[in-house]
Amino acid sequence: MAYFILKRLFQSIFVMLAVAFLAFSLFRFVGDPVSQMTGVETSVQDQEQLREELGLNDPFVVQFYRFTTDILKGDFGYSYRTRQPVNEMIASRIPATIELGITALMISLIVGIPAGVYTALRTRGFATQTILLTTLVGVSIPTFVIGIVLIFLFGVTLGWMPTFGRGGTVDLGGWTTSFLTLEGWSYLILPAITLGVYQLTLTMRLVRAEMMEVMRSDYIRFATARGIPQRKLHYRHALGNTMIPVITIIGLQFGGVIAFSIVTESVFQWPGMGLLFLESVRFVDIPVMGVYLVVIAFFFVLVNLVVDILYLMIDPRLRVKEAI
Amino acid sequence: MKTSRITKATLLVGTILVGASAANAETFRWASTTDPQTMDPHAVNSAPVLSFLNNVYEGLVRRDRGMSIEGSLAESWEPLEGENGWRFNLREGVTFADGAAFTAEDVLFSYQRASNEAADVRSWFSPVTDVRVVDDYTVDFITSAPNPLFPDSIANFMILDKDWAETNDAALPATDAENFATMNANGTGPFMLSSRDPGVQTVLVPNPNWWGEVEHNVTEGIFTPIGNSATGLAALLSGEIDFIQPIPLQDAAQVEERDGYSVLEGEETRVIMFGFPHEHDTLLYSTDVTDANPFQDVRVRQAAAHAIDIDAIDRVLFRGKIEPASQLVPAGISGYSEENSDRLGYDPDRAKELLAEAGYPDGFSFGLKCPNDRYINDEALCRAAASMFAAVGMDAELSTGPVRDYWPQLREDDFDMYLLGWSPGTFDMEHPIRFLKHTQDDEKRLGSWNFGNFSNARVDELLPLIQQEVDLEARQAMIDEVVAISQEEMAYIPLYTQPLIWAAKDNVDMVQRADNFFLLRWVTVE
Repeated sequence: MAYFILKRLFQSIFVMLAVAFLAFSLFRFVGDPVSQMTGVETSVQDQEQLREELGLNDPFVVQFYRFTTDILKGDFGYSYRTRQPVNEMIASRIPATIELGITALMISLIVGIPAGVYTALRTRGFATQTILLTTLVGVSIPTFVIGIVLIFLFGVTLGWMPTFGRGGTVDLGGWTTSFLTLEGWSYLILPAITLGVYQLTLTMRLVRAEMMEVMRSDYIRFATARGIPQRKLHYRHALGNTMIPVITIIGLQFGGVIAFSIVTESVFQWPGMGLLFLESVRFVDIPVMGVYLVVIAFFFVLVNLVVDILYLMIDPRLRVKEAI
Repeated sequence: MKTSRITKATLLVGTILVGASAANAETFRWASTTDPQTMDPHAVNSAPVLSFLNNVYEGLVRRDRGMSIEGSLAESWEPLEGENGWRFNLREGVTFADGAAFTAEDVLFSYQRASNEAADVRSWFSPVTDVRVVDDYTVDFITSAPNPLFPDSIANFMILDKDWAETNDAALPATDAENFATMNANGTGPFMLSSRDPGVQTVLVPNPNWWGEVEHNVTEGIFTPIGNSATGLAALLSGEIDFIQPIPLQDAAQVEERDGYSVLEGEETRVIMFGFPHEHDTLLYSTDVTDANPFQDVRVRQAAAHAIDIDAIDRVLFRGKIEPASQLVPAGISGYSEENSDRLGYDPDRAKELLAEAGYPDGFSFGLKCPNDRYINDEALCRAAASMFAAVGMDAELSTGPVRDYWPQLREDDFDMYLLGWSPGTFDMEHPIRFLKHTQDDEKRLGSWNFGNFSNARVDELLPLIQQEVDLEARQAMIDEVVAISQEEMAYIPLYTQPLIWAAKDNVDMVQRADNFFLLRWVTVE
């Protein structure tokens, strides 16, 4: 097990290197950071001098080499925009994004799994049709529209919820959390729903399809014949087998939720990594963009690793193989 | 959406808390699209930074509500006798937020800091050869030539405390890494920096020891950047913020209709214009004219100007909120040329005649470049203009892009015609002449935004004379001549002055200054 995890973490280094390499080959098409960093009155020579100092005239391979060697030395560089250390900037934004992602994931699981099971067991009812139709609508509306609709409904018209930002946070030694106060939750809930809607639909439909598949399989028939009570049959025997592919997909999707929370964070001015990335793209803040992409690549690897470990825990067959 | 039912209980309790925090009326919350990227007043010469820091730091002089220069840390100033330069008589008894006394040494130190190579604002001091401390409250700025506008040009030159900067290792602005002054501030201004979370929230509190007369009733000012305009509007309409600058033109009507909100409208000093490729030998994007540059013919440039129906643009795109422009600064700015206030009118027939005279009776095609995130409705404006050009036979192939790509393209001469907006930093006509009309000259740092390199020997000759002329009438005569030349030569097509549109709650009283600066010291909340 430890060997397996170490191997995966080692592989992640190559993934991050590949992402950084691709990123740096694209950065020169993003725009010119110097014209963003200087005022209109700064002369052309001074701009050129700054460009030279920042090493922007070097070929991208050289810039990539410098970026990676600096990171290996633990030097993440400084933002072109704010001149702050990049690692501090990203670290201060990580809790907001992770908490938003986790809450969105929880919403999608807590609602999605029961709804999926229900619609699988009662394939024809009115409630099932309604649920299927609503989720279809939910998945076809773009995230930012859902966000704006929620903001105007609950924030402006009803006035129940704050419309932007992240408030009511408690600092737990470097990790600011929204989970501990009601005010924190009031800021968190709308963006989390917005981010979670797509996941929710996916989870529900996946659980439903898998559950219907499992319910048709032989062992469920035998179990039914043996007289195992319905409840135990559905939730222990059927659902357990349903969850294996569901966990894979949900896990992989969670990486995506973290990486692509950009839209939701922008609509709600949620101070996470996605918003920081968006600001950095607008400003051509290359150091921040570079580190962000590498961090996201690392998240993807990490999430995949967790999914694999969960696999081992859920599927006894894999455990046996490992033991041999 | 249906998930919200599950969490309703949480929602309701959350609301109570939010409601409670909004009740304190003198806490003033405002938002803007861009976060000031640093708290160092010398590090970046950009409007969001200078506008915000004007609340915290002060200069020797400042601009009043109507943009005129008035005394700030200097009580008075006069030209030096016997040499070129200005003497500033400083205000006595002024202290910085940390309690240190303000003296001439701080002015000298701030000059050295702001004119250093590490400072982006150093171009303000290019005419200055020396700064001399006469006594604790008198300081002389020596300039290489007579410079009547020098006090106007340093209205945003903010003074730091020498000891504070040196003690905290911030004697120079940060270039690559941050320093203490990036995140902290210690000014003499009406407000003090209470907390700063870049990109999230910055809080100001009144400076109890400020020397000036307090006109505001703000006990705490909370600034939040909100990048997404729909989110900003929602934040205003839900009452979470009291004021936002700017709001999109298309939202202005919606805000006006609501009870309890009002829209503040004015004219910014920014003039929007089209620029020509004066220096190019051929067009880059033309499909029919590949061996010549029609825009080198003044008749073609005039035809382009005649093709633009500015009233239609005003009506359709700007809801009647723009002021057509005849020159590169709006009326009211010093140096505005009254005698050249007529612009070439909309006259498509005349445009076609001019094109025919120039040898293009069937018109020609060319490439038009525009930014899509820099000026209000910039992309829509260019679409409208392209169809107006097409109506007289000039087929504009429009390409638009974000401003981060746009400036590099213009610097590399990659355009046949381009859109530019210019706000005169010194609020004087000399500024656009220096940057947009003088021949490109990297050595003398002139014409740096004259992308098409419009070049006229008489304009080049007049610029230094205008800069040095002390007699206002003689100066205006020279400026009038430059404006007349550029109109005759159609150096640019000035289009209009960009509107300023802010929105606030009704119970807030504030001042909308033409440079788009927002100052907390003029805010009263009823």
